[in-house]
Amino acid sequence: MAPCSFWGKLVTVAGFEADDTLEQDAQLVQQCLQGDGSAWEELVRRHTRRIFNICYRFTGNGTEAEDLSQDVFLRVYKTLGSYRSAHGGFATWMTSVTRNLLIDHYRRTKRDRITDSLEDSMPVVENKESAGRRPDQQLLLGELSSQIQAALIKLSPELREAVILRDLQQLDYNEIRQILDVPEGTVKSRINRGRIELARILQQMGVRPS
Amino acid sequence: MGTEVGPGAEHLMTWTCENIEARLSDYLDGLLSPDERHEFDMHANSCEDCSQMVASISHLVSGLRTMEQIETPPRLAYSILNQTLGPREAKKGWRGAFGWLSGLASARFAYYGVSVAATLLILLTAAGFSWRKPKLTDLSPVSIYHNADRQAHRVYAHTTKFVSDLRVVYEIQSRLNKDNELPTAPESTVPQSAPGKAPGSTDGSKPTTPRQQNRANGLGKAFEILASEVPVVSAQFCGRLGRRMP
Repeated sequence: MAPCSFWGKLVTVAGFEADDTLEQDAQLVQQCLQGDGSAWEELVRRHTRRIFNICYRFTGNGTEAEDLSQDVFLRVYKTLGSYRSAHGGFATWMTSVTRNLLIDHYRRTKRDRITDSLEDSMPVVENKESAGRRPDQQLLLGELSSQIQAALIKLSPELREAVILRDLQQLDYNEIRQILDVPEGTVKSRINRGRIELARILQQMGVRPS
Repeated sequence: MGTEVGPGAEHLMTWTCENIEARLSDYLDGLLSPDERHEFDMHANSCEDCSQMVASISHLVSGLRTMEQIETPPRLAYSILNQTLGPREAKKGWRGAFGWLSGLASARFAYYGVSVAATLLILLTAAGFSWRKPKLTDLSPVSIYHNADRQAHRVYAHTTKFVSDLRVVYEIQSRLNKDNELPTAPESTVPQSAPGKAPGSTDGSKPTTPRQQNRANGLGKAFEILASEVPVVSAQFCGRLGRRMP
């Protein structure tokens, strides 16, 4: 992790918590590598929800997200020995594994989605009904979440993962740079384009975020 | 930061719509320098399209950040552990038999439990169930129906009586207020003898003005109504008056 990010985290209370979490994760990984099954159970318990959410937001499908989450943990378990805490937090490393699996999954299922996209082009009644509402009202009604989820799936995978990591997982630019393994300028550009594209898709769906 | 005015101000307003679009996320994430932010604001405030775009993306980001986390399927963690550590050993004895209860020890389940218990409590109380002397027969549907019916009628009767009492009290109060508003004759003008009447002689009239007499009559009538409609209140009121009067 870059020194500036390290000191930036230290100055906030949340930063202390984050550092504490990093420390605990690193200890648990060490215990796992020594064959401690309960340490692995604890790691699974701590990260299942976050990984499942990333998978769900990326695929938009609960079953696929569940299967992918299992694949992620299986791969992490098998490659735990390759994790180096000096290169970043365990959560960041795990998110990176998740991202790679999601991209693999996206490529594998591309053909299936071409068929699905024909169904997606059919008009959706609920979107017409909600057209013209302010997003804060829609948010209160719990509609906006599902509409954003529907719009997220229509984003390209590069833009989608950037938006999910930044705005849903609320990771900082440096963490996203590590996960995506691209320069920070590319991260910024993808997040920006992703947001603008997402707003455009929502507008096409009849949701005006203003 | 103040707006520059004068010869140095010509470098302002140099940002185009393309600049705004390219730096929009930097603006929203607070990554612009004060000068850049100022120029961004200057353009966005003067350009309707950019202003709308900034508002739109800003709302979208807020919406994204307030999206709730999806609940994890309950069996997911077990499936992961089964695949990685191998099939989990079945717990034996009491822990195995009541292991499923650990899943109920969540805040959400506690909230649901308390809500259901509170609802049942209210419904049973409304149905006339006695918590001091609970009987099994009180829980039969027929008893619940009869008790609920009785309770409903009782509540209705109490409400009707209360409203009626309130109405009477209000009526009395308004009459008293009305009488108070009428100007009373000053004491110096009160018993004047009729002209042509001998001093000291009486014609049987009372030493009060007719208006005061009317007021006394009105009060008497009001107390009669009060006594008939609200016996308790009127008794207290009259008792208090009686104590004051010699």
